[in-house]
Parts: sequence; C-alpha cells; structure tokens
Amino acid sequence: MPLRTATTAESSRPGRRIAENDPEMMLELRDTVAELPNALAPLREEFLANLVMLGQIPAPTGEESERVRFILDRFLESGLSEAGEDEAGNAVGEIPGTTGTRRIMLVAHLDTIVPSNVDHNVQVQTDRILGPGISDNSLGASVLSMIPLCLSQLNIKLASDLKLVATVKSLHRGNHAGFKFHLDHMPEPVDVGICLEGVQLGRLDYFSIGTLRGDITCDVRPVQSRSYGSESAIAVLNRIINQLLNIEIPQRPFTRINIGKLRAGVSYDIEPDHADLGFEVISHSDEMIARLQKRIEDIVNEVSARHAVEAKLDCFFRREAGGIPFSHPLVQAVLGVMQTLGIEPDQGHSPSELSEFIARGIPAVTIGLTTGEKNRKEPDQIMIEPLLTGIAQLIGSLLAIDAGVCEEE
Amino acid sequence: MNREQWLAERTFHHSRFWDLQRLVEAKQKKGLTISLCLPALNEEATIGKEIIILKSELYDRYPLVDEIAVIDSGSTDQTREIAAQFGADVYLAKEHLTECGDRRGKGENLWKALHLLKGDIIVYVDSDINNIHPRFVYGLVAPLIHDESVHYVKAFYDRPLAFSHGLRPSGGGRVTEILIRPLFSLFYPDLTAIIQPLSGEYAGRRSILEQIPFPVGYGVETAMLIDIYEKMGLEAFAQTDLDTRVHRNQETIDLGRMAFGILRTLFNRLTRQQRMHFEEQLPTIMRQHIASDGRFELKEYLIEEFERPPILEVDAYRERFHPDTVASSPE
Repeated sequence: MPLRTATTAESSRPGRRIAENDPEMMLELRDTVAELPNALAPLREEFLANLVMLGQIPAPTGEESERVRFILDRFLESGLSEAGEDEAGNAVGEIPGTTGTRRIMLVAHLDTIVPSNVDHNVQVQTDRILGPGISDNSLGASVLSMIPLCLSQLNIKLASDLKLVATVKSLHRGNHAGFKFHLDHMPEPVDVGICLEGVQLGRLDYFSIGTLRGDITCDVRPVQSRSYGSESAIAVLNRIINQLLNIEIPQRPFTRINIGKLRAGVSYDIEPDHADLGFEVISHSDEMIARLQKRIEDIVNEVSARHAVEAKLDCFFRREAGGIPFSHPLVQAVLGVMQTLGIEPDQGHSPSELSEFIARGIPAVTIGLTTGEKNRKEPDQIMIEPLLTGIAQLIGSLLAIDAGVCEEE
Repeated sequence: MNREQWLAERTFHHSRFWDLQRLVEAKQKKGLTISLCLPALNEEATIGKEIIILKSELYDRYPLVDEIAVIDSGSTDQTREIAAQFGADVYLAKEHLTECGDRRGKGENLWKALHLLKGDIIVYVDSDINNIHPRFVYGLVAPLIHDESVHYVKAFYDRPLAFSHGLRPSGGGRVTEILIRPLFSLFYPDLTAIIQPLSGEYAGRRSILEQIPFPVGYGVETAMLIDIYEKMGLEAFAQTDLDTRVHRNQETIDLGRMAFGILRTLFNRLTRQQRMHFEEQLPTIMRQHIASDGRFELKEYLIEEFERPPILEVDAYRERFHPDTVASSPE
C-alpha cells in the first residue's frame, strides 16, 4: 500500500523545485494522484467503520463532546503526538511537516442539525450508508479523523505542517463559534485551508456570498393596540411574512430572501401568544444586504407598534461577500486534481467554515467527499463507491499544496 | 467457588478491557487464535454495519480476531452478499457437513461454526444488533485471554427495545424472568448467578464447546449453560456487562414458542440426569391461539428441538482438529 510519491520532503528543501514551474514534477504529481484511489482501497472498511461509529454519536450544536473524544482517540491511536481539545472545545491534531515551511489546515464541523433524541443508528447497504446527519457532516469529520492513519499507510510525509480541526458550535446560532475561536487564537497563522463536507463529490467552493441570518420573534402584549386591537401571534407574524415577500428584490446583483423556519402554537383552540421565524438574506452585494436588513428592521418595528406585539429582530449571523478568484492557484490546483481523478467540478459559494477563512484573508476551498443526499424527513445517505475518489481528491490536493503549486506570484 | 463469590469475582464490565493493544499482546503471548461467528438469517439491515465495525476495529486495526465468518441459515435477502462485500467469510450452513444432514436454526449454525472456523476461542455475536460496538467482542474474549480457568463467557446488558420513536429502557428478558430463572432456581441454583442466561452473545473455548451437544433451535443457549456447568461447574463461567444492546422486539406469542423449545431442552437434560421421568415421550407440537375474523383459531407449530451431538463425535471434525484421534484406515 505504500505509495510512490514525489513528495515533498525533498521538494521543500532549500532550493526546492516548485511543482508549478516544473513540468516533470507536475507529471509525477499527476501520476501519484491517479494512483491514490487504488492505494486507498485497503483502508475502505476502516473509513466506513469510522463513519458508522462517529455517525451514531448524536451531536446537535453545543453537544459535540462525545464526538470530540472520538476524534481525539483516533488522533492518539494514529500516534499523533500533538492532539487535544482547544479552549473552545474543538478537537485539534497536528502533524508536523519535515520542514514546516507552510501550514495547511483541514477543518470539518462536528455538529449536525439532528436532535439527540432521534435514533442515530446507521444502516450499511451494499452501495450506500444511511443515517441521520451522515452526509452533513459525519462523513467530513470521520475522514478528517482518519487523515493521520491514511498518510502514514500511504507513506506520505508532508513538508508542510498539517493541522486538523474538528469544530464545535458551527451550525445555527452556534455561528462557527468554535472555529472562529480557534482561528483567532492559534499561535501560528495558516497559509491554506480546506473545509471538508460529506457531499457532493465535485463540490468546489472558493468564495462566499454576503449572508445575513436572523430570527424574528412575536410576543403578544396583554394590552390591545388602540388602532388594531390584539391578534394572535401567528396572524401578526403572517403580516410580517407578507411584507417580507413583498420586498422588491433586484435581479442583479443576485439577491434572495429565504424564510427557512417558522414556529408557533400549541393547540387547535388556543391563539398563540408567541411565534417566531428564521430567515436568511443572501446577495453578491454587501450593500444590498445592508439595505435589506434596514428594510426588515422597519417592517418589524412598524408591525410591532401597530399590532400590540413585541416583535423583535435578531440578526445573529453576518458574512461579507468575498473569497479567492477562480484563477487563484489553489482553485486551479484542486481543479487539476479533480480532473486527474475524473471528478466533474461544481463550483460555487459556501456559508460554511470557508467564510471564516475568507474573512481572515486565508485562501481556502470547501470540497465534498462523495455523492449522496442530505434529507430532512428521511435519514441522509452517502454512496460508498465514489468515497475513495473523494478522499484521493483530498490527499491529492494536500500533495499539490505541499509541492508549492498554490503559491501566488 | 460459591455463587456470591463467583458473582463478585467473575462479573466484569467491558470498560475494564478497553485497552485493545494490551489485549492483543496478551492473546499473542498465549498463542491463542480467535474466531468471530455471526449466525444470520435475513439480517441485511444490520449485518453490513456489524462486519464493517468489527472487522475494521478488531481485525484490521487491532488484530484481536483472526477470522470473521457469517454462518447463514438460508437468507432470502441480501445478507450473504452484503457480508461478503465487506470482507467476512460467508458460509451457507446447509452446504457444510452435508453428511450430517441439514437442520434449520441458530444452534445448527453455531455447531457447524465449530467445524468451519479455526480459532481456539469462538465468539458468537447475533447479527441483529443495531448499536454494534467492538465491546461486544472484546468484552467477551478478554476474560478467556486473561484467565485460563475461564472457559465460557456470557454477555449481559440493559436491553432497551427498539420502537419507532426512540428507545424504551429495559423491558427485555421476559423469558428469562418468567421461565429460565424460576427453572434454574428449582434445578440449577448455581446458574441463577448468570444475569442474562439467554443473551445471544457469548464466547467459549473450543475445548469445551466441542464436547457438548447443540440444540439447533431455541434451546441452544440454555443447553450450553447446563452442559458446561455439568462438566466443569460454575468456575468455568464468567459474565461481562456490555451496557446497552438495541435489537428488534419480539412479540409475546413468538416468545411462547421460544419457551416451549427451551422447556424441551431443559426436560431432556433433567431426564438425562435422571432427575425427572416422563411416562410418555413429550409432544413436539406447540399450540397457540390466533384471533381472526372474530373467531379463535388454534395454530400448531412443530418444535422438535432437535439436538446435534457433541461435534467431537463427527469424523470430519476430528479429522480436521484432532487427526491423531482418527483411526488410520486399514491398508
């Protein structure tokens, strides 16, 4: 299973060859990448077992500690000398490079949207694995935990330092709290980031569009409005929704308002005194986002005043548009690896951990590891067969970054 | 060793054996081989997961088991295909030891596993466990590795039953509490120290398993306990707490048939030991009421509880495992 690699222990010595400017080395790298899926085949069951075991541990946002323990156990079993929890509770491991001239960070979020009281048992079929949260993001986290073993089995020794971070409190109102803390407090900066998501294979995100997420809550006051009387919280929230839907959205720059969550009421015969909704505004223009935020604030304030309710707007998540260009060597390197492995790229944006890298000026991409589905009512599923290609894509990208192909002029 | 002493000294929790590296070293030092047997019948929903986890953790990562085999009773779903795809050795029970004929049942698979697998220790794990974890294996083999006076290890657990919405704590073990424990209290009081005599997971040394008969059906677990106890006493046993085991719930009416098979197995042993005598042979028909269209119907089930002899009595087995005891054929 040890792989014939040209890596980079030698290429990163002083006076090293930079693959991008070295056609012979690029060819060698391409050959190595093409061999990866076969070289990874003996590890297939271990990847799957890791996924099943991790996927069966419930991890709603804020309750990831058992998964953190699992990841750290894996790191320690693989012989990682530096592995532990950071102050925010993220699982962090580090594989020192032979020269440490570059620092690469792999990141995957540990939390899922699945409540812990849902049965987390995973089912393995001949061609797929099914289970709640399996694709988002048990697969990403489980592959991350296998990277030390994987590199060791493939006999790959990177010149770059490789930092592995499985993050907590990423989703919903967690708002990447774990990852933000880590990025803001790490002792040494990283040069490149790769975010791992379970699906879809071919996904290549390298920019984030402007995003605003917020909650609107309506609580009916005991006193009636002098102008309109008092209404059920549902009726009031409905007025807000109607006004949100009536906001005129331009076709350019691309902008959209999504109303994703709605909650109210406990019984057929009781008018609710509380209702809330969750929304998201996305746009290529940060200015448009700011304008829409102001408009939504006005709607909420007006309805609050007229209908004897305490209507409140809480915008808890804000991302500015940004990222690296298509021409960035990192994007080109990952595309080259995908092409070598026959993966059809699907380029796009991501509000995930990628946006945190971008906000700090760190070149980064998000990639998907296999094909599958993220479901809401049924358990997620991932396909087994493309997984090794997806992991090969990750290892290939690491080798390319390590060989220096992502260095900007 | 009395019951209280045994309970105190021979009852373990799986967490005591978490250090797999140490366990593998101890196993290798003693030159032991271990075979994992998964008896199966139409278990496509869970078999893949069991094999992936147990193989990855206990064969590839920590070589605690030397082989993993599924012994199948003739599944009509994808059980055998899934098992083979994820790296288990797969045997269709009826295709082996054909000279002994073909019987259907879990006990038949366990008995044939002794012939098909090569380990000094055989660990049996049911194929329908939803929350499978390596502890289901290492928790059972560890006492056998560490203590040569232990010959057979039984699992016990809190057994929540799977429901459509979440889990209901406990509620398993109905046959144990209503049938087995009263009977053991009457006839084999020492065996009442065993917390879950009907658990489907256990490990034993080949040296004892090859000496005992195997009922092919419901009575195999009960028979093993009584027969090993008869030969070696309570000292031969240990038991390990494996925490929670999630499995499919069985209808009470199904448990009735199980109880019938177990009773036949027990009466066989009591008559063999001349502790009980029946004037006539016991019937093999179990009758249960089925309510349909406002009428009650009596349905008959044939439950023979056929027993395989100790496999040591089978020529093919002796040729494979004890060639020195097979008389050389005349020239």
